[in-house]
This record gives sequence, C-alpha cells and structure tokens, in this order.
Amino acid sequence: MIVLRDVVVDYGRGTRAVRAVDRVTLDVPRGQSVALIGPSGCGKSTLLFAVAGLIRPAAGEIRIADEAVEGPRRDTALILQNAGLLPWKTVWQNANLSLFLGKEYPKATAEAVLEELGLSDVKNRYPSELSEGMKRRVGIARALSTSPQVMLMDEPLASLDTLTKERIQDLFLKLWARHAFSFVLVTHDIEEAAFLGQRIVVLSARPASVKAVVDNPTMGGLDYREAPTFRDVVLRLRAELERET
Amino acid sequence: MSRARRAGQWLVDRVEDRGVWRHVAIYAASVLLLLLLWEVASVVIRALKGGREYLPNPIIAIREMVRLGPLLFTNFWISAWRLVLAILIAFATGYPLGLLVGHERRLDELISPIIYIVYPIPQVAFILMLFLIFGIGHPVKVAIVAIALFFQLLVSARGAAKQISLEHITSVLSAGASRWQVYRHVILPATLPSILTSLRVSIGLGMAFLYIAETAGAIDPVRGGLGSFIKNSAYNTGAQFAGILAMALLGFCLYIIIDVVERIVCRWTYTARRSS
Repeated sequence: MIVLRDVVVDYGRGTRAVRAVDRVTLDVPRGQSVALIGPSGCGKSTLLFAVAGLIRPAAGEIRIADEAVEGPRRDTALILQNAGLLPWKTVWQNANLSLFLGKEYPKATAEAVLEELGLSDVKNRYPSELSEGMKRRVGIARALSTSPQVMLMDEPLASLDTLTKERIQDLFLKLWARHAFSFVLVTHDIEEAAFLGQRIVVLSARPASVKAVVDNPTMGGLDYREAPTFRDVVLRLRAELERET
Repeated sequence: MSRARRAGQWLVDRVEDRGVWRHVAIYAASVLLLLLLWEVASVVIRALKGGREYLPNPIIAIREMVRLGPLLFTNFWISAWRLVLAILIAFATGYPLGLLVGHERRLDELISPIIYIVYPIPQVAFILMLFLIFGIGHPVKVAIVAIALFFQLLVSARGAAKQISLEHITSVLSAGASRWQVYRHVILPATLPSILTSLRVSIGLGMAFLYIAETAGAIDPVRGGLGSFIKNSAYNTGAQFAGILAMALLGFCLYIIIDVVERIVCRWTYTARRSS
C-alpha cells in the first residue's frame, strides 16, 4: 500500500540544506500498521509529512496505492500532534473539514463516526470548550470522514494523561479493525509503538535512518498490554533506542 | 442554522437573560460618572480662571445640542458617512493586502520596506496635494482619512497574518485545501479578532484625521461636517461642546457596531473566554 524507496528529505535549500531523513526504505502492506519510533527531533515527523505529500523528498520515491505521491491525496488522512483543529470551527465543521474543502456534503456516515467516537453531544461546540482527549478524538473523526485507505499519525496522543491515552489507543484499535485502513504512527512513546505497531521501525538520531525493525505480530488485542510478548517488545525497543550506532 | 439567524437568536437570548439590560444600566452609570467629572472640571476651571466659561458645564452643552438640533444633525450625518466610507475603503484594501504581505514571504520582502518608509509619515503632510487632486468637496475628506487608516490596517493585518500557527495551515493543507482555501479557512478567521481591535483604534485615529480634513481650508458650518461646525463655534463654547459631544456620540455608535459585529463573526473567542 505504502512504499518508500531510499527516501531522502532535506530542510532548506542549496548550501544551507540540512538532512532530516537519510535513505529510508519501508513497506506498509494494505491494512497493516507500522510504528516509527525515534528520539525527539530525529526527523520522523518530517518523513511522515513527506508521505502525506506536504514535503517533497530530495531523493528516492514514495508511492501510495501504486501511484507516486505528488501532494496531499484524497485517500490519505493525516492526524497532527495537537489534532490540528481550527478554533473558529465547531466540532462538526472540524470533523468534516476535508469534505467541506472538497465542496462535498458530509456522508450519511459522518453522524455515525461522531457517535462512534462519543462526540455527538458536542458537535456544535468549539474546540476551546473540549477536553484534550475529546480534541484528539475530533482529530480522529476528521481523518475518518473521508474513509481513507491510509492513516498517517504524528504523535497523535502526545501529552495526554496515561489513562486517557490508553482509552484512545483502545478506541483506535477498534476503529482500525472496523475500517481496515493501513496506518503509519509516529511516536516517541515506546508502549504506544508496541501496542499499535504490527511492525516497529526504530529510527536513528538526525538524520533519521532505519536502525532496527521489530516485528510485533501478536498485537491487536485490547488486553495486549498485559501479555508477556508486549513486555518483551517494549524491552527490545528500549534496548534498540539506547544502543549507540 | 444560517449565520444571520444565529445572530438573531443570540440577540433574543441576550434580551431574555437580561444581559442587555445589565449592560445598559452599567453604560448609563458610566455616562453619569463622565458627566459628573466634566461638571467638576468645569467648576474647577471657572474658579481658577476668575469666572470665565472656558469649559461649559454639561448642561449648557446638552442644551446647545438640543437648540442646534437640525444643524448639528446634518453635520453629524455628513461626518458619519465620511468616516464610515473611509473606514470601509481602508478595510477593503488594507486588510486583504496586509494578509497577502504577511503570508506570502516573497511579497513581504518586496513590500515591507515600502511600508516602513511610508507608514511613519503623518499622512496629513500630503494634505495640500490631496486638496489639489480631489478638490475641496467630500472626496478629499474621505481620502485623507482612508489613506491614514489604510496604513493602520495594513500594518495590523500583516502582523496578525505573521502570527498564524503553522499547525493550522498544515492541518488544512493536509485536508486538501487550495491556496485560496487556506486564506478563507485559516488566515481570514485567525486574524479577524486582532483586525477588529485595530478597527477600534482606527475609529479614534479616523476621527482625528477627519477633524483635520474638515477644518483645513474653507469652513462651512452648514454642510462642512462636525469638524467645521466645531471650529466655526470658536466664540460660543456651548455650541463648540455640543459639536464635541456629537463627535463622541459618533465614535460611540461605531464602537457599538464593531462590538456587535465581533460577537457575530468571532463567536468562538467568546466561548473560549466562557469555558476558561
């Protein structure tokens, strides 16, 4: 579904260019999940923005559904760190932003998506009236509104308290099972990567390159956090992140 | 619900929850306090200046306002539409241009030095040239005020556009927004609160420039606007202060209008205040 071949991304141009991502190769098969984990500021968000079509790579190729990524795509949704909600739009307007921008009316399923995410009662509120956890759920609702094939997430649950975070992770797992999209999750949270990533790619410090790939085939259950394999994966990820290259 | 209907509903709600009456009572108390301070100042000045009426008390001014009613009213309307027209012209040109310059980096590099050079010049310095271009009628008065406010709004809009969070722009771009949609859905709404504040400042500034424009050149007490009326009443302090009161009233009305507009177009800022 998502194919990255030797992707290089630079910041700036010419002699002042700084390399953010260095020759990353990655495959995400249809319906599968990959978590990208790495130290803060390593370039993992930059890599995700390149997959989202917001940044053009300096070299290499990025393909989604066998088409080269030239810009933001209709079948790809991006969830930003603070949900990227617009304060001047209501929950309903924010959740269906992609559709309104495309001059389309929200589908019949739009109400169902808000219901699914527990947002029906607040759909006429503004983001400033919501709790942090609710805001993130609006971000997820917005991504789901276009029924995407690919979901890209840039630390979508950063700075939430542990319980709220885990509740949204559980919710996300259910949504993934029901809507069957492929997703790439960028995170610096080891447990989040182990809970949501079928495959976890450990990235090096800047410029980001692939340091290790950890397979996590037994994930997917809501009780996975208690499983011994979850603990093994967390420990392996910790060791990989700490390892000097 | 349409925006107009929502606004109507908002007004009805406010009247019903007595919020409006509370506001009116507070405003009335505030006006009374102002009149009281005016009276005190008038008494003090009269005592210090050996009984001379340099600052007439509010009762005299209001009585003059009533006596000169129709004449004052004509002048009030002339000044009012000149000021409103000038504000609209400045808003319709300065605001969009400011947003463009603030958001498009290349344009900023090209235009900003021009702004920095021209903005600090007091625009009344060009008054003679403007009189030569526009003649001595209405257009020159509107032009002077519009030019001054244009720069005011341009500079504010540019500043506001530069403050916009990159996250909001990334957010709509990833949702497939076109260049125009970024302006329509992010830059315009994000800058509205600060541009409305700037508009409030512009009212005071615009009044000052309007006064200068209306008192420069020939004085026409009948159709010259409030500035002309005030200057013409130099030897009747009562009438003079009636004119000044009328100017205050004009400014006050415009402030109220901006407040109402803000309540409607920036509703989200009020809910933010309510919930925090």
